[in-house]
Amino acid sequence: MAELWNTIILEPVLNILIALTSVLWGNFGLAIIVLTVIVRLILFPLTVRQTQSTKAMQSLQPRMQELQKKYAKNQQKLQQEMMKLYKEAGINPLGCLWPMLIQLPIWIALYQSIMQALAHTPESLLSLSQHLYSWGAVGQAVPLNEHFLWLRLSRPDPNLILAILVGGTMWVQQKMVTPPAADPRQQSMTSMTTLMMPLMFGFFTLSFPSGLALYWVVSNIIGIVIQYFVSGGWGYLRAPSVPKQAAPAQKTPPTQKPIPAEQQSKVLKQASEESKTIKQASSEEKKKRGLFGR
Amino acid sequence: MVNDVTGFFLIKIKKILSLILSVVTLVTLGLIAIGCGGPAYQGWSGFAGDDGVLYFGSMDGRVLAINTSARSQGLPFPSEGEWILPVRAPAASGGMCGPLGCMPTAQPTTVYGTPVVAGNLVYVATYAGDNGKVMAINRLAPGYDEAGIPAWNEGEWFYPRSESEFIGSVVGGPIVLEDTLYVNTSDGKLYALDAVKGNERWEFDTGGKIWTDPAMKDNVVYISNYAHKFFALSSVDGSLIWEIELPAAAASSLAVAGSDVFFGTFDNQLYAVDGTNGNVKWTFGGDNWFWATPLVKDGVVYAGCLDHNIYALDVSTSNELWRFTADDRIVSTPVLVDDLLVLASESGTVYMLKADIGKPEHDPVSVDTSVMVPVRAPLYAEGNMVYVHASNRCVYCVDVQSGEKVWGFCYSEVE
Repeated sequence: MAELWNTIILEPVLNILIALTSVLWGNFGLAIIVLTVIVRLILFPLTVRQTQSTKAMQSLQPRMQELQKKYAKNQQKLQQEMMKLYKEAGINPLGCLWPMLIQLPIWIALYQSIMQALAHTPESLLSLSQHLYSWGAVGQAVPLNEHFLWLRLSRPDPNLILAILVGGTMWVQQKMVTPPAADPRQQSMTSMTTLMMPLMFGFFTLSFPSGLALYWVVSNIIGIVIQYFVSGGWGYLRAPSVPKQAAPAQKTPPTQKPIPAEQQSKVLKQASEESKTIKQASSEEKKKRGLFGR
Repeated sequence: MVNDVTGFFLIKIKKILSLILSVVTLVTLGLIAIGCGGPAYQGWSGFAGDDGVLYFGSMDGRVLAINTSARSQGLPFPSEGEWILPVRAPAASGGMCGPLGCMPTAQPTTVYGTPVVAGNLVYVATYAGDNGKVMAINRLAPGYDEAGIPAWNEGEWFYPRSESEFIGSVVGGPIVLEDTLYVNTSDGKLYALDAVKGNERWEFDTGGKIWTDPAMKDNVVYISNYAHKFFALSSVDGSLIWEIELPAAAASSLAVAGSDVFFGTFDNQLYAVDGTNGNVKWTFGGDNWFWATPLVKDGVVYAGCLDHNIYALDVSTSNELWRFTADDRIVSTPVLVDDLLVLASESGTVYMLKADIGKPEHDPVSVDTSVMVPVRAPLYAEGNMVYVHASNRCVYCVDVQSGEKVWGFCYSEVE
């Protein structure tokens, strides 16, 4: 199984990364950035699909909460109603999971490749030889020069700069997609989760090779950019922390605010529209609401 | 009804998938944490021998002297001439303690390079992440007194002398000629030290990481770095005689024979370079790196390769005389015992080949000979015995004539 993984996924990514280093004047930091961009571009349609599915699911949340309250004592009926709701909105509840699952092996391979390519001990350099193709560019680039800007890519960043960048970009990305909850307890938990992951990864950065942290930063920034254009703005990053119920007079971003009960039919219609493909969005809407008409 | 059932299962599947996703994320984070949690190095020191005693760096941060006669008789350790000297950092203080006291370091210390014996001193160069030290240990009375307190015996030294100072970590071993010790460091420098007192005579900055041994012939020191450079320096004052740039960095340490220097590179080539002017005489291609230091004798270059082959090449023309395919990669440097070439594959099989034709002396290869654990350290021969430092922290003695393993000594059991 491990051999299959190495042959099909790890080794192609690893060798491309090293060959890129050779092409980019032996600069491994630049190669990490370029490969991260390339991989994210390849996975772009999946990312968009995932974002759209998540967003469509989120837009149904007020209605879902209402159903949960209404049928709290009848789980079977609740499930029936939920399915009905999904069907009416034209949403596949698994739609946001598959793209994520498909992307996961590639992220793991990218992570492994960076770690292996850095080969910061003699043992790891020796181990690297088992995964390299006999490409001229690969042989000429190995062992890689680990210096990039102020960083030694096989060592943790001695300053806090990279840790702050990793934590900060991750927080922004999470904040953009995490809707505020109506329930204060739930809201407190959501805030905690949004804060915990960036803090954890920021903390990891202090002890991990900075090459890996560089990949996290670049990946997060690209994620933010994609999120910005797909959602047509900063999303929940600029929304109030706790949603205000039934405040029709207040002007808030149309795609982020919880929708009052009287607008449920509109919500369904909107969610249905959101589940459709990118191509269905009109060019006028694209300009108005974002790159993909949202 | 169908919709109800579908909905029910769909929600269940969603929950299961969420669970799988969470587990995968946790496992990934766990792997990340494990992968980066501790040092992934243990060293692969070869042996330096004298009077039946082998000196080497262990894979657990110590320097050992073992008496081959005592080990073959199974006497308790330590017997005559045997000792063990910790150079690793005690966990509490975070320092590296040796005969000369404790040096602050955050990472454990190990030894990759083969020590050198000269007079009463054994020279060891250490690796501790970014930091390295060179130590000269009195091999007759190593640096601990009877109470177990680190002592500073006359003639012993370490470089740099200050406890808080380090040179770059050392992967290649030192070499000693007359009264000068030469050592390469991973911060790209070659140091020439007074072998008696440990004072620095000169240093040469190559501008690229060095993880290989230097080599010397006729007052010329040869070094290669990972920035694709290859240098010839005066051993007297470190002045540059010539330098060349190679298409790829040198993967193996250097071997000098006659006026030529032989080494492998990361683009799967074996090089023969004229040591007098830096001209490339020939190259020979393998299917992977020539990682082991080439061995040159009687007009033949024996080069172990990570493609599982050992090649015998004509020293002047690079014509392939024979090749032998082992069961695994050849990482450790082979040795010649009379007309037998002894090599170990990484998986621990020990082969004895007739050096002129490349056929095994004992066919089929005896299972008793094999140590069956990874072998990466260079082999060492004394008389008819070949010594193998295996990665299970044991030393094995193989009798070349009988083709059998005579004894094994596992130092990890020794306090």
